[in-house]
Amino acid sequence: MFPKRFDQARPFVTLGIILLGWIFLPLAIKSFSRATFFEIQAPLIVADSFVRDLQTFWSNKAHSKEELLKAGQQVAGLIAEYEIVNQTNAHLEAEVLRLENLLNIPSLPDFRFEPARVARRDFSGWWSRMTIRKGSNYGIPVGAPVVFAGGVVGRVVEVHHYTAVVDLITSQTFRVAATAAGDTRPLSYQGGLNNSFSAPRGTVDFVPLDIYATVAAPKHLVTSSLGGVFPPGLTIGDITSLDPSADGLFKSGEVQLDPRLGTLTEVTVLVPLSPEE
Amino acid sequence: MSRLIESRTHRNPRLMLFHGAIVALVVVLASGLAYRQLLKTGLYTERERLQNLRRVVSPGPRGNIYDREGRLLVANRPRFSVVLDLAELRSEFRSEYKSIKRNYDALPKDERPNADQMERIARSTVAQRYLDQVNLILKRNEKIRSTELNRHINQTLLLPYVLLDDLAPEEYARLIERLPVTSPLQVYTSSTRHYPYNSAAAHTLGYVGINSDPEVEDFPGEDLLTFKMKGNTGRTGLEKLYDLDLQGEAGGAIYRVDPAGYKVDLPVEKRLPVQGHNITTSLDIDLQQAAEARMKDAEGNDRTGAAVALDVRTGEVLVLSSKPDYDLNSFVPHLTTAEAEKIAEDGAWFNQAIAGAYPPGSTFKILTSIAAMRSGRVTPDQPITDCDGAVMIGNKRFVCENGEGHHGEIHLAQAIAHSCDIFFYEAGRLATVDGLAAEAKRFHLDQRTGIELPGETGRMVIPDPAWKEKTQKERWYPGDLANMSIGQGYVLVTPLDMACFAASVARNELFTKPTILHHPNAPTQHAPPIGLTPAQRTTLLEGMEGATIYGTAKFFSTPNMKIPGVRIAAKTGTAQKRVVKDGQLGTINCAWLICFAPLENPEIAVAVMVEGENLGETFGGGTYALPVADAILKKYFEKKAAAANAPKLVNVTAK
Repeated sequence: MFPKRFDQARPFVTLGIILLGWIFLPLAIKSFSRATFFEIQAPLIVADSFVRDLQTFWSNKAHSKEELLKAGQQVAGLIAEYEIVNQTNAHLEAEVLRLENLLNIPSLPDFRFEPARVARRDFSGWWSRMTIRKGSNYGIPVGAPVVFAGGVVGRVVEVHHYTAVVDLITSQTFRVAATAAGDTRPLSYQGGLNNSFSAPRGTVDFVPLDIYATVAAPKHLVTSSLGGVFPPGLTIGDITSLDPSADGLFKSGEVQLDPRLGTLTEVTVLVPLSPEE
Repeated sequence: MSRLIESRTHRNPRLMLFHGAIVALVVVLASGLAYRQLLKTGLYTERERLQNLRRVVSPGPRGNIYDREGRLLVANRPRFSVVLDLAELRSEFRSEYKSIKRNYDALPKDERPNADQMERIARSTVAQRYLDQVNLILKRNEKIRSTELNRHINQTLLLPYVLLDDLAPEEYARLIERLPVTSPLQVYTSSTRHYPYNSAAAHTLGYVGINSDPEVEDFPGEDLLTFKMKGNTGRTGLEKLYDLDLQGEAGGAIYRVDPAGYKVDLPVEKRLPVQGHNITTSLDIDLQQAAEARMKDAEGNDRTGAAVALDVRTGEVLVLSSKPDYDLNSFVPHLTTAEAEKIAEDGAWFNQAIAGAYPPGSTFKILTSIAAMRSGRVTPDQPITDCDGAVMIGNKRFVCENGEGHHGEIHLAQAIAHSCDIFFYEAGRLATVDGLAAEAKRFHLDQRTGIELPGETGRMVIPDPAWKEKTQKERWYPGDLANMSIGQGYVLVTPLDMACFAASVARNELFTKPTILHHPNAPTQHAPPIGLTPAQRTTLLEGMEGATIYGTAKFFSTPNMKIPGVRIAAKTGTAQKRVVKDGQLGTINCAWLICFAPLENPEIAVAVMVEGENLGETFGGGTYALPVADAILKKYFEKKAAAANAPKLVNVTAK
C-alpha cells in the first residue's frame, strides 16, 4: 500500500510519533504513567530481592556447624552488649525526660521504627538512591529519615505502595542540618561527587572558624534536631579536612562517610508519630 | 529549436542589462556583507559582548578588630537570608502571565489590566508561591512586596532577591534541611558587622554605614553593565580611619544573559572576594569594661564623661571610654530614626575623650607645681603663703575651695595633697603667666596628641595675655592668672591630653605620644626630661602619693578602693563648666582625676573626667572620678598578678 521506501522508515516514524505524543501529553498523565509503571515494576524488584535473599540463605546454609556455633557465640555476646547499652539508654532517656519536665522544654519528635530490606540499587546511581522493600503499605511517608547501625542512610523521596525510594546521604541532592559533636551551632552537610565503589564522602559548609579537623584528628559530625527532620545525634560521618572560605566567615570541608553504606541490606525508616506538616 | 532560443538569448540586450543589474546587486550585497563581517567585526563583537554580558561585584568582608590580648572587638557575623534566584523562574513567570491573561480575557477590554500590570501580578504570584513554601517551613506569614520585587527585577535582576533576611540559626537549619538542593529558593549568607561587647569602646571602634559602590580592582569588564552588592564603609572611629585596610578586596563575576537580562549558565569569569586586613588595637577590653561599668549613676544610667588609660612606657591606650555611648550593634543593618534620635538626645554621638575640651581644674596644679619649681621661686620645703581660706587678688576675693579651706602654712607636697588653692594662686603668680603657659606648651597641652582616631579636637587652650587680647579683646588680669594656676578660667584640655600629661609626669619626661594600635614589642617612648631636680621630683611624687593617703584622693586608701601593695600617685580636680540644662543657664561641676601607678616604677596612667548631673551641684574629683580610675587600676593589677601566678611553659631541650 505504502511505497517501499516508507515501509522501511515506518518504525522510525512510529517511534517519532510516540515520542512527540509523549512530549505533548499533559503532565498529570505523565506522572500517573510513571507511578503506574513503577508499581507494575515493583513486584519484579521485590521478587528479585527475595530471590537474592534466598540465594544468601542457601549460601549461609552451606556453612559448617562449627562456623555457625562461633557466629552464634558472637551474636550472643553482641546481644549481651546491646542489653547493657539498652539499659544505659533507658536510664538516660528517663534523665532527659526528667530534665525536659524540669526545664519545661518541649520533647523532641518521636518516631516509630520501621525496619526495611534494601531491594535494589542501580549501578549508575550507586551513591544516589536505593529502593527499599516497604512503602505506603507500612505507612512510610515522603521525607522520613532512614538510618542504619552506623548512622544516617538518607531520606525517603518517593513512596509507592510496596516500595520506597531513598535519597542517600552520599547523593548531591541530599542536604541536612548538622552539628559537630559537642557543639550546638548548625552546619550544612551535603552529599558529594561520589564515583561507584569509591570511598563515600560528602561536604560540610558553614562550619564556625573555631572548629578544627584533620585526617589525623577528625571531628565527628552528627545530625541536629534544629532542621526538624532528623532526630539529634545520629552519626553522619567524620570531618577530615576544613579550609576557610574566601569570605573568612566560615570553613568548608570534606566528610568521610561510613563505607558500610555501600553494602547495606537492612535499614530502618524513622516514621514520625506526629507529622508536623 | 533550442539552438535558436540560445542564440536569441545571448543576443538579447535587455537580458544582458538584467544580468548586469543582478551582478551589480550581488556585488553590492557581497560588499556590504564583507564590510559588516570583515571590517566591522570588532564593533559588532563588542556590541554583542556589551549586550550579552553583565558584571556582578560583591564586596569583600571587612577585617576584624582585636584588643591587645587578641579578643575580638569587632567581627563579621554571618547573616543568613533566604533568597530567590529569579533567573530560574523565567518560564514560571511566563506561564503564570499566560494564565492570568487567559483569566482576564473573560472581562470587558476596558476592565482588563494592561500587559505591564499583568506581568507584575504574575511575578508577585510566582514569588509568593515560593515564599509560602518558606512560610510553611518557618511557620510565618510573610507577603511579597510587589513594588520591591519589580524594582529588583528591573534594576538588579542578576542579584538574588532576598525574601527573608537575618534568619535565626534554627530557621536557617530548618531551611537547609527542608528546601530541595535544586530549588530556586536557597539559603544565602552574607557578612555583617558584629560587636561582641556591644557599647564598649563604641566611640573608639566606630561604626559602619552602607557602601553601595564597592570597587573591584583589576577585574575585566569595566565597560559592562555592572550590578553591585552593598558593602560597608567606616563612618567613625577606627572603622573610618582604617577603612582602606579593613575593606576586603571585592570579588566579581561576569554572566552571560539572555535578551531579557536573565543569566544563562555559570559565570564566564569569577573572582572570589577576599577579607580585609585585621587590626589589633592597644585596648584592653577588661579594663575598658571595668571603667565603663563604673561610669554609671545610681539608676544605672551613663554619666557624662571620659576615661583614658595609657601604658606609661609605650603610650599605648589601654582604655578610651566616652559616656554616654551607644550599642554598636544597633547600627546593624541600619540605625532606626528612633534610635538615632535617642542617641542625639543623650548627647552620645560626642566622643568626650578626644573631642571634649574642658577646664582641667586642680589636676593642672601639677603643671603649676612644675613651673613654679623650675622657675626657682618655689622650693620643696618652703611654705610660700599662709592659707586662711581666702585671698584678695586684684580687687576680687579668691577662696580656697578644698578641704576645710584653712590649710595654714604648708609646703608644696602638702599643698598638692590637699589641693590648696591659695598656695597655687601664689605659686602661679611666682611662676608668672608666661612661665605657666610655656610649661604647658612644653608638655604639648596646646596641641592635638595625634592619636590615630578621627575627630580629635584642636580647641584646647593654654591662655596668655596675647591670646586673651586676640580672642577676647580684653587685657590680662591678675585674676586670670589665679584661675589659670588652678586649671580654671580659659584653660581647656581633653581627657586624652591629661592622660598623656600623667604618663609624661610618670616617666619624668615632657610628652607622650599616644597610640591606639598595639605592637607586641613596642619600645619605651622617650622624650626630653621635664628638668626637675631629684629633690623637686621627690616632692612632686610625695604630694601626689599624699593625696591618695591623706589628701583629696584618700578614698584610694579606703578598704573598698585600696589596691594592696600598689602605691598610687594621683591628683583630683574639680572645674566648672557653663551649660544650658532644661532651659536654664548655669554651671555644672566636672570631676577630674589623674593618676599613675605603681609610684616607684609607673606602668599605667589614667585620666578620668565625669560631669555632674545637676546645675550647681558641688563635688570633688574624688567622688565621681576616683572610683572609675580605681576600677581601671584594680583590674590592671589583678590581671598582672594573675599573669605572674599563671604556670609558665618551659622549653625542654633534649640533650
